[in-house]
Amino acid sequence: MSVQTPQHRYVGERLVRVEDPRLLRGRGQYVDDIDLPGMAHAAFVRSPFPHARINGIDVEAALALDGVFGIFTGKDLNHLAGPLIAGRNDYGGATLGSDLLETKRQLLAADKARHVGDAVAVVVARDRYLAEDACELVHVDWEPLPAVVDANEALSDDSPRVDEALASNNIVHKDFETGDVQAAMDSAPHVFRKRFHHGRCHPAPLEPRGIIADWTTGADRGVTVWISHQMAHLMRTYLSELLQMPEGRLRVIVPDVGGGFGLKAHLFTEDVVIPLVSRALDRPVKWIEDRYENLAASNHAREVFCDIEAAADDDGRLLALRMKFLGDVGAYSPVPYTPWIDVGMAAKSMLGSYDIDNVGYTTDAVLTNKCPTGAYRGVGQTVGQCARESIVDDVARKLDIDPFELRLRNCIGDEPRVNPIGPHHYDGGSYAECLRKARDVLGYDELRERQLELREQGRYIGIGICNFMEHGAWGSKTYRAHGADRPFIDLVRLTVEPGGSVVVATGLTPNGQGHETTFAQLAADALGADLEQVRVVQADTERTPFSMGTRGSRSGVVGSGAILRAAEDLREKMAQIAAHQLEAAVEDIEFGGGKASVRGAPSQALTFREIAQIAYFAPEKQPEDIGEPALVSTRSYDPDPTYGNGTVVAVVEVDVKTGIVKTERIVFVEDCGVVLNPMIVDGQIAGGVAQGIGQSLLEQLAYDVDGQLLSGTLKDFLYPTAGDVPSVEIAHVVTPSPATTSGMKGVAESGIIATPAAVVNAVADALSPFSVEVDHTPITPNDVRALLRAAQASSQAATT
Amino acid sequence: MNKHLIKFVLNGEPREILVEPNELLMNVVRERESLTGTKYGCGIGECGACAVHVDGQPLLSCIVLAADVDGREVVTVEGIGSYGQLDPVQEAFLDEGGVQCGYCTPGMVVMSRALLNENPNPTELEVRHYMRGSLCRCTGYSGIVRAVLSAAEKESSGKAVPVAS
Ligand code: FES
Ligand code: FES
Repeated sequence: MSVQTPQHRYVGERLVRVEDPRLLRGRGQYVDDIDLPGMAHAAFVRSPFPHARINGIDVEAALALDGVFGIFTGKDLNHLAGPLIAGRNDYGGATLGSDLLETKRQLLAADKARHVGDAVAVVVARDRYLAEDACELVHVDWEPLPAVVDANEALSDDSPRVDEALASNNIVHKDFETGDVQAAMDSAPHVFRKRFHHGRCHPAPLEPRGIIADWTTGADRGVTVWISHQMAHLMRTYLSELLQMPEGRLRVIVPDVGGGFGLKAHLFTEDVVIPLVSRALDRPVKWIEDRYENLAASNHAREVFCDIEAAADDDGRLLALRMKFLGDVGAYSPVPYTPWIDVGMAAKSMLGSYDIDNVGYTTDAVLTNKCPTGAYRGVGQTVGQCARESIVDDVARKLDIDPFELRLRNCIGDEPRVNPIGPHHYDGGSYAECLRKARDVLGYDELRERQLELREQGRYIGIGICNFMEHGAWGSKTYRAHGADRPFIDLVRLTVEPGGSVVVATGLTPNGQGHETTFAQLAADALGADLEQVRVVQADTERTPFSMGTRGSRSGVVGSGAILRAAEDLREKMAQIAAHQLEAAVEDIEFGGGKASVRGAPSQALTFREIAQIAYFAPEKQPEDIGEPALVSTRSYDPDPTYGNGTVVAVVEVDVKTGIVKTERIVFVEDCGVVLNPMIVDGQIAGGVAQGIGQSLLEQLAYDVDGQLLSGTLKDFLYPTAGDVPSVEIAHVVTPSPATTSGMKGVAESGIIATPAAVVNAVADALSPFSVEVDHTPITPNDVRALLRAAQASSQAATT
Repeated sequence: MNKHLIKFVLNGEPREILVEPNELLMNVVRERESLTGTKYGCGIGECGACAVHVDGQPLLSCIVLAADVDGREVVTVEGIGSYGQLDPVQEAFLDEGGVQCGYCTPGMVVMSRALLNENPNPTELEVRHYMRGSLCRCTGYSGIVRAVLSAAEKESSGKAVPVAS
């Protein structure tokens, strides 16, 4: 039996988002907006030292405050659950580094604190003001210890250990080679080398993390957790194991989430502590991270040293590429992903769309007494693109070849192909076309002329390119390819209700991506329903089927695949009913506009409501062979990996007197396959671009030489503001992916994956008359001035 | 500490409440008045998520003492527009993709409304400058800036009028 596929009415349309009116009126509901009867408030006592022994904790004075309900230290809680161990029992996290030395993280540090912000006690009180006052009165007897602050020094044998239980601070090492890199380097006419340091950054969603736990005892024993998170069902699984509470008695609800960017796709110690103290005190407990805690103790990301070597012939053909990635990963492994993710994904993305036969990498992840590093949008891929694109520009500059031309000479073809360091396939794209299109949109030749004119006037603009790939649609196959044999399952339940409403229930857990809109678009088209008929229910383990959550640019692709499959099931049932009622052949039934009609006779039609009424309430009108008449289907989809691609060009102006870099233009040409909703896709890109500009020019998580955090407020960290980012000029190229049912590819990370490399290259280009080397992020005004001063000093030295 | 009795107007309704001398306007609005549209993003005046209007001026409620609004008029995001009729600024955010996670949105709506009340025809540069204190991590500000400019255009051409309570 073949049932017609309806025409697209909504997919590809720029539809406004259904979630927006309530958000615009301040009627969103984020975790901190939830108030439960009798709820108490928690605050944590945290280490002011990067590394210190805890000789004792005196809670007497704090406990004596009226309204303080309880104070808990590691001694009280650590035996009840934990420790948290990355790479073990991690369900869909990833043992991406299976050779990982395990760090065991206690719920609260009991013997030693290992970074500034490490939590040692939790105070629960009537309100947050009081809880924080009580924290001040908790007396910890600290014995400061020497801290490991520099990842390079942490490798030496005489470095102190961050974790004495481990044989080394280097907790994972992996390497890879294809071709013969050394031989190619030895025989190449030109070899280029540089060391690039990608600075520490932070997802820093505007809404910090937060959790409420309500643990009830007795016959209705169970725990309900509201949490700002990206993976409702996995959180339930983690908590179920750690709290030894069956999943059937655990409910995880993710309300509106004020941005996640990977930060909220982890399991943190606080997520386990808050349920435990709720049980101990027999009342609901809320903890909302404050901004200092967020910056000091929520996961940082991607501090990586990259040693880069590239070999080229006289025409700029790249013959070999080798990189060593050394990650400064902080004090503990992030759960579930392990600290290999940044260096590993940097390595996996170092080749991108370049056609190079001899490629090799090594990756190391080294513990230091700093905040742990974990997943942040574009995990590692940002680092890989920065490292490669910056040496590619060095090659272009030194061989005097135009940087667009050099990239075109080394570009792979558009057809699907084996990714030499993959190990899975590229699903095809528009690698050279995006370069050409970006050059056109930019008005490249005129801009180069203008650059020269401005230089005459003492003004320095620079043009920087990044030709990038985005690895998206993470699922089983991706993880397997990365060495973690973990199945991914993501279910979507599609129901046509008796009145004809369509309900999409999914455990994918959005945090700003607009799933209420896009999933409704998909379901409406897949069923031939009207958009207004569709309602999307999400992110509550009691109301939605299992999912691995929203991360790795996967939700759009995974959700669409499962919705398409479930819709096919429903159409088949509905076509049977309609055909029987309208006395037509099942093959002649078409769907559209919320109706099923007979092809060629549109007046012969039944609405969804009429069909559903028959299915639910009128067995006598059902065809005999209908089987189960229920209009519900739960399906899953586990996509092949996708690779989006594109070209970003940044135009910056560097004020050589102040060192200030202004981003004047960002041209972003993007191929993410079939576009679901251009407004949402463009919004994802623009947001990632701003994060990328922040990461390359502004944002910094600085530690002093003793391991003290210097960036504990947003003003020190430096989020980009509306004044720091230009409007992004976006253009699309569409190469439908053969790897996914919808032809879509992941897109949510491209902005941040690609922009930093373009900005770094633009600054280097602007400063090229001064022969300085830009070799790190962020490039702050002080850095620019220091580079220029050094260049001046050395040119003076050379002339005297 | 002595509590203060304060009288003020909140979204058009007269209120009379006892507050602690150190109690912040943000907490009064969110916790005592259950108007949770006003958001916490930093607590020290660095992000703009908690912006409200006090006597028509935008202020950051996380660094304003509740006692200081005695005798004044406070409008939160809930006092701007209604479901039946969004304010032109809100309408423009909807049309231009100015919202993603929505967490900065209340502060952005409050600030944009204040900007257009002060300067009905801002340039893009003026919008970007005025909104500098309001941080957004999701949108890259593109949709937000477009929205404010388009609301300005509609209002000044008479195609839309502000909707405040
Ligand atoms: S919460 Fe008030 S400015 Fe950030
Ligand atoms: S929409 Fe998320 S912070 Fe602005």
